Amino acid sequence: MSTTIQEAKMTDSNRGGVQVRSASAIGMPKIAISNLDFYYGTHKALKQIDLNLPDKQVTGMIGPSGCGKSTLLRVLNRMYDLYPGQRAEGKAMMDGQNIVDPGIDLNALRARIGMVFQKPTPFPMSIYENIAFGVKLHEKLSKAAMDERVEWSLTRAALWGEVKDRLNTPAMGMSGGQQQRLCIARTIAVRPEVILLDEPTSALDPISTLKIEELIDELKNDFTIAIVTHNMQQAARCADQVAFFYLGEMVEVGPAEQIFTAPKEKRTQEYVTGRFG
Amino acid sequence: MPEHLVKSYDNELKKLRAMMTEMGGIVESLVAMAAQAILQRDSEAATRAVATDPSVDALERDVEQFVIRLLALRQPMAADLRFIIASLKMTGDLERIGDYATNAAKRSIVLSQFNLPYSLAGLANMFRLVQAQLKTIIDAVGTGDTEKAIEVWRSDEAVDDVYNGIFRELITYMMEDPRNITPCTHLLFIAKNLERIGDHATNIAETVHYAVLGEVLPDARPKSDNSPYAVVRPQE
Repeated sequence: MSTTIQEAKMTDSNRGGVQVRSASAIGMPKIAISNLDFYYGTHKALKQIDLNLPDKQVTGMIGPSGCGKSTLLRVLNRMYDLYPGQRAEGKAMMDGQNIVDPGIDLNALRARIGMVFQKPTPFPMSIYENIAFGVKLHEKLSKAAMDERVEWSLTRAALWGEVKDRLNTPAMGMSGGQQQRLCIARTIAVRPEVILLDEPTSALDPISTLKIEELIDELKNDFTIAIVTHNMQQAARCADQVAFFYLGEMVEVGPAEQIFTAPKEKRTQEYVTGRFG
Repeated sequence: MPEHLVKSYDNELKKLRAMMTEMGGIVESLVAMAAQAILQRDSEAATRAVATDPSVDALERDVEQFVIRLLALRQPMAADLRFIIASLKMTGDLERIGDYATNAAKRSIVLSQFNLPYSLAGLANMFRLVQAQLKTIIDAVGTGDTEKAIEVWRSDEAVDDVYNGIFRELITYMMEDPRNITPCTHLLFIAKNLERIGDHATNIAETVHYAVLGEVLPDARPKSDNSPYAVVRPQE
């Protein structure tokens, strides 16, 4: 009749553990990062990162400023190649290729891994041209095919209805939220496999923010997504998996539900409850 | 854990914990009043219990309001979230314990009109066990002590065992003499109330465990209330 605590714990872990019980399962990795180090000159900004980005799921990256989360995004599409003195060591494998391998074709890589930044960065041209510009770099499309691609990407970015009658007007005339969705449309227009979002809503109002979050939910049906955010509630709302970074290390990764209800690491607990100091 | 960067949030969590221990303290005193009323046949204690119970209900409402406020305004996470949700659950358990204690105390007024031809030792034993459980678990709520919570979670079996004995004993008295039926029925309800108090103390133990460790205790807990199957047959 009596149940021991040991038996109790066994029963629990047989169910996959309490935290995992209702969380959506984390899938197979699209990108598998292992033993990844990154240097800004002599400063080591990422230390031995091991992290999988599950395919067609959202990975949220959280942590205080300077913890390395944005740096990791920059590594994943090789942004650092633009700056001398910055280098990465280790592995970030995508479909059998190491992203940080110096011999990799960067243009092809960046077509497969798109990035959206904190502030909307539309080009000073029309809405239509903003989308078509990137596509032209990678593909030769007929006018009809390009029209179709522009409509497709604006539709996927939940912007088509708002801009279909003014595709030839300057993109700079759009609201901040629209500009950010345009940048997402521009990113998905080249049909990448992975989308990296670096604080995509930090400059937006709450409604535009929710539209972007709804969009992320929608986009994960087709793309693998990594989002860096300072807004913990946003990570909780958007991400399937959350990774917590601190001082260049990845402290803990787990299903969002676990990180925000019962994190395993003390530092994660202190950060998500607002006790960091 | 270190303090929050936002001090007012820390103060609010401290206030919530204080409300829980205050409520626990009042509920403990209600059970003590019920024990005094029944075992010492002190109907004044019963009156005090009836007068005290509304303050428990009021505290429950206060805790509920405060929890809703914290959820809406602070968007708590992790250990804070667990403690706040746990408080909401525990306040419900404490309120029920208060009701059971008050109900038991009230019955002492009817009981005082009867000469009880038998000992209340079984009931006294049950009160002792339940009061000890309650004291331990309310301390655990205040300190977040999971060892104590598990101790209470395990100890409910003993309460059930005593309850089964009392159940059979009272049925026997009622069969012996129908004039025993009124006092024995009241005593049976009192025993049942105490058994329920034990169950709620166990619920609180499970909640404390989750709040502190983030792990749920299993559904199957040590339990041996087999009174639902008890049959006492008259001797031929």
